[in-house]
Amino acid sequence: MIRHLFKMVWNRRRTNALIILEILFSFLVLFGVTTLGVYYLNLYHQPLGFKYQNVWNLGVDVKINRNDEWTPEMVETARQVFLALQDFSEIEGFAGIQNRIFGSSTSTTQVGENQLSMQNEVTDRFKDVMGLQLTHGRWFDRSDDGVNYDPVVINERLRQAYFGSEDPLGKNIAHPKRERHRRVIGIVTDFRQHGELDSLSNYFFQRTRIGHPKDRPPQNILIKLRPGTTASFEEKLVTRLQAVARNWSFEVQPLSVSRESKLRWGLAPLIAVGIVATFLLIMVALGLVGVLWQNVTQRTKELGLRRALGGTAGSVQLQVLGELFVTTTAGIALGSLLIVQMPLLGVISNIGGAVYIYSFVISLLVMYAITTLCGLYPSSLATKVQPATALHYE
Amino acid sequence: MLKNYLKTAFKVFLRRRFFTFISLFGISFTLVVLMVVVSLLDHAFGALAPETRLERTLGVFFARMSGPMSSQGGEVGYAFLDRFVRTLPNIEKVSLSTYPGQVISYHRGEKLKSDLKRTDGQFWEILQFDFLEGRPFTVEDEKSANFVAVINQATRKKFFDDAPAVGRFIEADGQRFRIVGVVRNVPILRTTPYADIWVPISTAKSDGYKKELVGNFMGTILARHRSDLDGIRQEVQARLTRVEFSDPKQFNRYVAPAETFFEGISRQLFYNGREAESHPGKLLGVILLIMLAFMLLPTLNLVNINVSRIMERSSEIGVRKAFGATSWTLVGQFIVENVLLTLVGGALGFVFAFWALQGLTQSGLIQYAEFHMNYRIFLYGLAIALFFGIFSGMYPAWKMSRLHPVDALRGRSL
Repeated sequence: MIRHLFKMVWNRRRTNALIILEILFSFLVLFGVTTLGVYYLNLYHQPLGFKYQNVWNLGVDVKINRNDEWTPEMVETARQVFLALQDFSEIEGFAGIQNRIFGSSTSTTQVGENQLSMQNEVTDRFKDVMGLQLTHGRWFDRSDDGVNYDPVVINERLRQAYFGSEDPLGKNIAHPKRERHRRVIGIVTDFRQHGELDSLSNYFFQRTRIGHPKDRPPQNILIKLRPGTTASFEEKLVTRLQAVARNWSFEVQPLSVSRESKLRWGLAPLIAVGIVATFLLIMVALGLVGVLWQNVTQRTKELGLRRALGGTAGSVQLQVLGELFVTTTAGIALGSLLIVQMPLLGVISNIGGAVYIYSFVISLLVMYAITTLCGLYPSSLATKVQPATALHYE
Repeated sequence: MLKNYLKTAFKVFLRRRFFTFISLFGISFTLVVLMVVVSLLDHAFGALAPETRLERTLGVFFARMSGPMSSQGGEVGYAFLDRFVRTLPNIEKVSLSTYPGQVISYHRGEKLKSDLKRTDGQFWEILQFDFLEGRPFTVEDEKSANFVAVINQATRKKFFDDAPAVGRFIEADGQRFRIVGVVRNVPILRTTPYADIWVPISTAKSDGYKKELVGNFMGTILARHRSDLDGIRQEVQARLTRVEFSDPKQFNRYVAPAETFFEGISRQLFYNGREAESHPGKLLGVILLIMLAFMLLPTLNLVNINVSRIMERSSEIGVRKAFGATSWTLVGQFIVENVLLTLVGGALGFVFAFWALQGLTQSGLIQYAEFHMNYRIFLYGLAIALFFGIFSGMYPAWKMSRLHPVDALRGRSL
């Protein structure tokens, strides 16, 4: 039976080639979109590693170039700003961070021979303000003042990637061009700076101090508010700070708002791609119905003959669907040949093997479901062919 | 003859409505997507108000300093523009302005965010803004650091509930400006003119920007005539070598060409780490390639439908062949039919694209963007539809024309 189906499809290979090609491209599109979907869905459900609720980001622009030195007046202004922050009863605690959370800037650096890691500079209170979870070692504190190495806290992923099963505490992370070593003093579960859609990457923190002339001042200050503080506090805060530091610019955004906008901007292109792909597949499905329908009407003679020789309606329908199944399989097989190349070309390392396999299986099933659905009406049409009209044909 | 073709085509379309529907669905959907992409591109790069003299305008958008160890890229710094671009010979005008930056105002207990751009008096002479009330600030205002501002319509609405705003004061980022003019909103995709609030450069909180080679500025050059543009490009290029560096060991090369925004974007996108050449052709090629790749599946779909539709007409083809019609005539006929179908689909596509763009305008996803159909978009759309029609009609037509008259008359399949 199955051999026979293959033979039928092969005999009409000219017509079927185009259908196979169409199924092949649809399958590739479907696989691409499914992979995107599964990839981001998986990311969305991974823990962030920090708590953004009730935290505001205060962006501080001190209006100097990257390479300019801090003047003594600026150091004094910074001190005044921190005193002002400590003064507010609404503020539970605050900490500095260089690249903002849910922002757009990232610092990436080389670790070891050929690995990359994101990094950020934070102050000692950062762990408590953001609610990070330490799994080993300790967080930065005053005992890190004046040491002859750069203490770092790494995330579990970097530990896995760089140290494997070794105990990383007290060990150095090598960098080809740096003279000062980075020494691991602690490990946190994770830190996904750009939010839920951020890729899962290596991360480490370096220590900085606010208002210390030797350290680069962090551009953002995270402010943990006491529960129940309202949005109107913002104006009070900025007016006060602006009075202390007249030449600086301040800009406040609750992290929950930054997160929303980050999500919206991250999802917008995905939704656009999703809509376009859905329409593409609907179009392909409709086209397939049309082609199958046409094929069935053309083969009235053949199908009628089968009925006349005692073939049941069911067996005729099965034949039409079976042929469609063979065509689909051919398209999918060719598509799979192309998809299998992806891990060989190294594309897969970014998306992870499990995502790849899940997406493959899902798109495989969806593709078969679509073609079967498309075949239902034309194949039922085939069963209605009367032997008499068929033999009467021409 | 053409009239007959069209008549036949029309009859064929009506005979099998389901097929016609499928074809139209595919065509119009494809066109909607492509038209939306085209209007986004047009919206970002085309000559829209207030940039009505784009054909004789050049910009200096991006700069890169490089040295033996590292390089620093970004927007152009004021120091370079002031010394080397402002002094260009044989041009009509030059304007310097910052890229817009977000500022916060607290107004009646509410927090308002606006994008603020600092610029000069020439800016208003190069770009033709539509003033709803008042006037632009002048070169004098900029020189004497007057705290004056031009705001857009949306800002007037946010701060003053659409009441006349000229002469009133607006507070932004802790600074107070007197409003001198209100202009119509400019979409965020227009890099050169876009902002909510425009104020003089000299009102900046510190003058650190004056020393920057790579900073936060852009230059806009209006040439006297279109044909001067090449000369201006070369002059700016020649002046790059005269840039002096504070620490030549760190940086010793500077690149900041005068170019169109499209060229600037393509240079940033295809920056390969060594040279800073512009590749506008490459970017255009990539855009066209993506559009073609997107058309692949709809084309295949249409080809498939067309191929199976021709079967129905084998007897017609046979008769025409038997009476001496050449293959080429038949190919021509079929392509005309297919192009007609695509044009109908294209017309539907225009309507849907219009709705989609309206939806996009209303969603506010792209700030102040107002997508209107203009003749450029219409021509692009027409070109796409024609290309699509011919492209998807070719294979079925060729296949049809090869049919042997005897077989065709007998109604044998292809």
